[in-house]
Amino acid sequence: MSKKYILKLYVVGSSTASKIAIKNIEEIIAQESESDFEFEVIDVREHPQLAENDKILAVPTLIKKLPEPLRKIIGDLSDTDKVLLGLDIIPQNKK
Amino acid sequence: MATKIKGIHSKAKSTDNSLTVIGGVEKIPTGIRGFDEVLEGGVPKGRTLLITGSTGTGKTVFTNEFLYRGITDYNENGVFITFEEHPVDIKNVRNFGWDFDMLINQKKLVFVDASPDSTTTMEIGDYDLTSLIERIKYAIRKVKAKRVAIDSLSMLFLKFSNKDSIRGVIYQICDELKTLEVTSVITAEKVGGSESVLSRYGVEEYVADGVVELALEPGQQQFLRKMFIKKIRGVGYRSGVAEFEITRRGLEIFPKIEIDIRVSKTDFKNREKLGIVGVDEAMGGGIPQGHMVLISGNTGTGKTLFGMHFIGQGIIDGKSAVYVTLDEPVEQVKKTAREFGFDFEKFEKEGKLFFVCPSLIDISNDKLLYEIVNAVNKIGAKRVVIDSISSLKSATMDEEKVRQFLIQASGFFKNTGIRSRKIIHEAGNACVF
Repeated sequence: MSKKYILKLYVVGSSTASKIAIKNIEEIIAQESESDFEFEVIDVREHPQLAENDKILAVPTLIKKLPEPLRKIIGDLSDTDKVLLGLDIIPQNKK
Repeated sequence: MATKIKGIHSKAKSTDNSLTVIGGVEKIPTGIRGFDEVLEGGVPKGRTLLITGSTGTGKTVFTNEFLYRGITDYNENGVFITFEEHPVDIKNVRNFGWDFDMLINQKKLVFVDASPDSTTTMEIGDYDLTSLIERIKYAIRKVKAKRVAIDSLSMLFLKFSNKDSIRGVIYQICDELKTLEVTSVITAEKVGGSESVLSRYGVEEYVADGVVELALEPGQQQFLRKMFIKKIRGVGYRSGVAEFEITRRGLEIFPKIEIDIRVSKTDFKNREKLGIVGVDEAMGGGIPQGHMVLISGNTGTGKTLFGMHFIGQGIIDGKSAVYVTLDEPVEQVKKTAREFGFDFEKFEKEGKLFFVCPSLIDISNDKLLYEIVNAVNKIGAKRVVIDSISSLKSATMDEEKVRQFLIQASGFFKNTGIRSRKIIHEAGNACVF
């Protein structure tokens, strides 16, 4: 059962928190090898209109666009278990 | 004849002549009725004005109108940063006749939508609010904004748990606004006493170059609105309190009319005829220019008729007049006048006579005086009749307020060289002062 996830991470430049967040997501993607991930990093400075459309106030902000429902998580995502919970992902190794 | 009343209800034009510079701080007019007079020119350019008050006091209307007038009257585009209301709800300002959709299409107005949405947001780890700053900068650049409104900044403290981080963001926003040289109006909720949410968190001093507090006080029949100018850094302003209303077309503030104690000298050779045989002779020709005459007496002694003669004679002499009727409705006044042979209806149609007929319930000095001053300026009146002063002493206008009103009115009339008559109905109550 392969699920498709579309994730967008909004950052401003390359702060420490954004680097940590990117690393944390890449780890989750590697871990959940049975699922499909589409992961995009968007710099608010380069695409302010996208940030406006998605109403991004804090960075880093991770948005799960698919599957529904939409979920938003702000912060450097250092707590993997919590992040998985926030994204409605049941960890592979627990299945 | 020097007039001390500056441009009541006349829009300050956005030319270099209208920018008042005091102590190096340039002011720009907001375009909000009466507010620019209270601030003697407008708000300090490129600075931040904080509007505080409890819910429903008019903060959001103020910020909306600040942006709207900026665009329509002064060609200054604006950015609205909203933390409370969704842009869809803000557009209800079309009830005031303000078409925000049109301004958005014309790229003169843009929203930064930071309003609450239904998506739950989890906080996991460190974050900062620099995205907000970037969005604000982008919006200001997008429409080349000169005015920014933030409603309400205090919401940030409710939305995010990291208070220090929020403080930092607020400082950053203010620095950006300063760098981008925009003039801003920010709102914040008031929390008990005279503290705003911003002052509770210690950021008010930094944020605000000026603080205006809005309040609602219960009157007899309606709520009375007041604004208190608490501080404006670096510039002068007229008296701390002003009453205001929210009308169908927006805010209307009634600034205190300046009382110029250096009254112009009375020229006793210049007399205004009453047109009443015997009285003019007894008075040495008529009423001296700029003087206020009190007619008192019991009911039925002819006081109103005196006033009507004064109006009628004035119009024959080519002097327009304002009739302030506090006792009778305008139609009744016209009927009475007709019975005495004065065609007030005709005078009014010809623009020579203007009626001011205020509601006595919850009447306020400032509003009444403002209405009279406006009426006088509107038709260039030289004569005013107030019938009658005794009606002013209702619950919301006690003797002290009536006294103040008369002093201010007297000052205004003297300086504009207007003759006026006041009429008192109560017997033996000639001494209102």
